[in-house]
Amino acid sequence: MNAAFGRAELPAEQREALARARRIQYLWLGILLVTVLAMAAVMGNSQAMKTAWAEDLLSFLPPLAFLIGARVATRTPTSAFPFGFHRAVGVGHLVSGVALAGVGLMLIYDGASSLIMQERPPIGAVSVFGHPVWLGWLMIAVALASCVAPVILGRMKRRLAEQLHDKVLRADADMNRADWMTGAATAAGVAGIGVGWWWADAAAALLISVSITKDGWENVRDAIRDLTDARATTVDNSRPHPIIAQLNAAILQDPKVVAVQTRARDEGHVLHAEVFIQVSEPVVEVAWLEDLRRRSVQMDWRVQDLVIAVTAEPHPDADAAYGGPEQDGPEQAAES
Amino acid sequence: MDASTTPHRPSPATRGAPPRVLTALIATLALLGGCALPLDPEDSLERIRGGELLVGATEHLPWVDLSGERPAGPEVDLVEDYAGRAEADVVWVLGSEGELVRQLRDGEIDLIIGGFDDQTPWEKEAAVTRPYATSADGTGRVLLTRQGENGFLFDLESFLVEREEAAGASR
Repeated sequence: MNAAFGRAELPAEQREALARARRIQYLWLGILLVTVLAMAAVMGNSQAMKTAWAEDLLSFLPPLAFLIGARVATRTPTSAFPFGFHRAVGVGHLVSGVALAGVGLMLIYDGASSLIMQERPPIGAVSVFGHPVWLGWLMIAVALASCVAPVILGRMKRRLAEQLHDKVLRADADMNRADWMTGAATAAGVAGIGVGWWWADAAAALLISVSITKDGWENVRDAIRDLTDARATTVDNSRPHPIIAQLNAAILQDPKVVAVQTRARDEGHVLHAEVFIQVSEPVVEVAWLEDLRRRSVQMDWRVQDLVIAVTAEPHPDADAAYGGPEQDGPEQAAES
Repeated sequence: MDASTTPHRPSPATRGAPPRVLTALIATLALLGGCALPLDPEDSLERIRGGELLVGATEHLPWVDLSGERPAGPEVDLVEDYAGRAEADVVWVLGSEGELVRQLRDGEIDLIIGGFDDQTPWEKEAAVTRPYATSADGTGRVLLTRQGENGFLFDLESFLVEREEAAGASR
C-alpha cells in the first residue's frame, strides 16, 4: 500500500513487513472480537474470567493504535508539521503501554481483593443438549482456546516490530503475551476451583499480574522517554540505536572530518539525526557537504531526516567519535 | 481401512484406529471428570449425601408457605425431591432473609429458599443457582447456596437440568 513513512521510502523488506503487520492486526482484531463475544457467553462468576474479558477489551487498544499510527505516519510532512507525522507511533506506543499497565494493575487489584475478601467463586452446571455439564469445563476450554492466537501472532508481531522499528507493534506483542498468560492462568485457576481450591483462580491471576504490570510499566517508560527526545534506541529500548555509531564511523572516514558527534531521537519508525562535524580546513564546499549528507542518508532508510552542521567546537552532549587509532572517547584521542 | 491392500504398511489402519480409541478415552475421562469435579472446599455434598440437608426457608407466597405445620409450596417440594435424590433428610431452618444469608455464609446451612428472583441482590453473599422456573412477571426463580461449594452447587443444578429435561420430555 503506502510505500513510505512521510518522506522515508521503505525498502522492499520493510514494505512487505508493514503489509504483513497490517494483515495480522486486522486478523487479530477479528479474533479478539470473537474471543470477547465467546467469553461474554460463558462468563460465569469466576473473577479471572471477568478480568480476562475486561483485559481482552483493553487488548483492542494496541492493534488499533498500530493501525492508526502506521497510517498517520505515512502522511508526507506539511509546513504545519515539518517533521512529518512519525510521532503518531510514539503516541500509539504510550497508549499501548498504558493499556498493558492497566491490564496488569487490574489483575493485581482483582486477584488481591478476591484473596483478601476470601471470595469463593461459584461455578455450577450448564445444560449442554439437556445434559448437565460443569461450567468450569467450558471456561477452561474457552480460556485455553483463547491462548492459541496470541501465542502465534505475538511471535510474528515481535519479529515484524524489529524490521519496522515499530514500538507499538512490540508493545502489542507484549500484550499478546499477557493475553495468553491470562488464558493459561484462568484455565489453571478454574481447574483449581474444580478440586476445591477456592483461592486458585485469584492466586493464578495474581501470579501473572506482576510480570504483565512490569511489561506495561516498561512500555510506558520507554514511550515517554522517546516522546521526550531521549537518544534513539533499538526497538526494545535496550541499547542506543546502532545507526548512531555507524553514522559517526562512516562520516569520520572522510579525510576532512576531524571529529563528529551525532544526536538522534526516535520519531517513530524513523530517526531524526543531527550530525555535528569539525573539519581540518577553514573552508568547506557546499557540494562536499551535500555529498556527505547524501552518503549518510543512504546508510539506512530510518535516517532520511538528517542535518549536518559544521561547528567549531564539538557538541557537548551528542554521541561522539574522534579521529586517530582509538575511537572510544576524547581521552584516548588526546593521548594519541 | 485398506490394510489388505497394503499389508506391509500398517499406517492407514493404525492411523484410523487410535483416534477412535482416543476419542473414547477422552469421552470417558470427561465423563469421569464430569462426575468427580467440581469438589467442595468444605465438603458440603459429601456431608449432605446420606446425611442432612440444612435448608433455610423464608416465607414468600406462593413459592414458600410457612403458615402450616410443615413448610409447603413448590420450592419446598423441589428441595424435598432433591433431598430424595441425594438420600438426605431435610432439616428446616426458619428466619429472615438477612439472618439466613449470614448463616449460609458461615456454613450453618446449605441452601436458602424464599422465592428469590434471578436479579437477587444476595448474589454477592451467596451462589445463585440456575432458574428452576419462570414466574408470571418473566423473572427466573432461583435458590441460594453457599458460595464456593461448587460440588454441591453442581449436583443441585444437575438435578435442575435433569428436571427441566424430564418436564420437556413429558410435555
